[in-house]
Amino acid sequence: MVQLIRARFANARLAAGVFICALLPGCALVIPQTSQLHDTWPEGLAQHAEVEGVPFFPQEELLCGPTALATALAAAGAHVTPGDLVASVYLPGRRGALQVEMLAAPRTRGFVSYRLEPRLEDVLREIAAGNAVVVLQDFGVWPFHLWHYAVAVGFDRDRGMVVMRSGTHERQAAPFGALEYTWKESGYWSMVVLPPGRVPVTANEARYLEAVAAAARVSGAKAAALAYEGLLERWPADVGAAVGLANVRYGSGDLAGAEKALRSGLERSPSATPLLNNLAQVLSDEGRNDEALRTIDAAQRAPGPFAAELAKTRDTILERMGKAAAK
Amino acid sequence: MKPFVVRSLSRLLIACLMLMSFGTASAGMIGVDQLSASVGATTDRAALMTILARGDVQSQLQAQGVDPSAARERVAAMTDSEVSSVMGQIDALPAGASSNNGWYWGAAVIVAIIVWYMWFS
Repeated sequence: MVQLIRARFANARLAAGVFICALLPGCALVIPQTSQLHDTWPEGLAQHAEVEGVPFFPQEELLCGPTALATALAAAGAHVTPGDLVASVYLPGRRGALQVEMLAAPRTRGFVSYRLEPRLEDVLREIAAGNAVVVLQDFGVWPFHLWHYAVAVGFDRDRGMVVMRSGTHERQAAPFGALEYTWKESGYWSMVVLPPGRVPVTANEARYLEAVAAAARVSGAKAAALAYEGLLERWPADVGAAVGLANVRYGSGDLAGAEKALRSGLERSPSATPLLNNLAQVLSDEGRNDEALRTIDAAQRAPGPFAAELAKTRDTILERMGKAAAK
Repeated sequence: MKPFVVRSLSRLLIACLMLMSFGTASAGMIGVDQLSASVGATTDRAALMTILARGDVQSQLQAQGVDPSAARERVAAMTDSEVSSVMGQIDALPAGASSNNGWYWGAAVIVAIIVWYMWFS
């Protein structure tokens, strides 16, 4: 049976048929996204693309998580093999890898992982932008699941095919419909891994800030600063990124750098309480307590949810001023 | 009884140690994670709960065969919301594993659906 289907699918015309199947109204229920792509190709999206320089690691038994993640990480510039990632994502008891850990593991290596929106179009857009996409597929037939991670690296609209690094296949071509159907059960789960500073083209501002903040917790100051700077380049008015960048610099003792990041954030959002509070703290640490006090006063006019933090910062400043006066 | 006491005590000690380290790290600066969090999410109680959750997830990873030091690092790389999303569910969440020839089965199901559609409608 499998041999037969394999032989049939070697026939490109039949494979394209699965894409054409999107014409049939019934298929729109089974593979709605493919159907939609067939009706209207997204504006500004290339007709075909393939990410260059994506390495191929033939998968060893059960290790599709480490293999897929190593493929994506290496494509993003990391020196890593699937074997290096076994200790980071593989769960012996489950004989597999959890989605959360696929997202978490790149962070300690200084990379930013981002879960895409559950849209085939976004996967294609990332590929067109040169970013390999890890997808979680389910090959099981109800009620059984057979989860598998693969890396989508290319697509071709005319042939209706997606190209993937999958298991032991370096260039596995699958019809859009086949990818969508096997992808559905995971809630259309997919992720990209990118070096800090390189923002996914389909990124959503708030969710990308979360992704960067998550990476910044464990990635080290240099990578964290680069990631926040990249975010600010795309969304210059993002208060969270300004706070994050300033905190990273503050944490590594760079007070002048922290002040600069906060001031440039305040240029766009002059009344953002977290920026004012943190600026007051930095100024006070620099010994400029008068200026710090004026800044915290400005913040206290509209404290929002940060009244307690503001009061604490103000106390610190007053205490330091008292000490300075006593000398 | 004894293991329970030892376990509770060690959890409490870990929590205390970690709370202390957080206290020194954030002197006066508002953090990114505080911006989106609703008021109250940054209380000591909430911080304590997440620390305990991290300990739980770490022991759940160990129960799945991950060695203790790797388990600690793996939990550290997760965010608080990720920790709570996997807590108690590690044996049930999707775990990508299969070798890949399976996609032919997915394709077989699609073919079956097409045949069914054409035959019966």
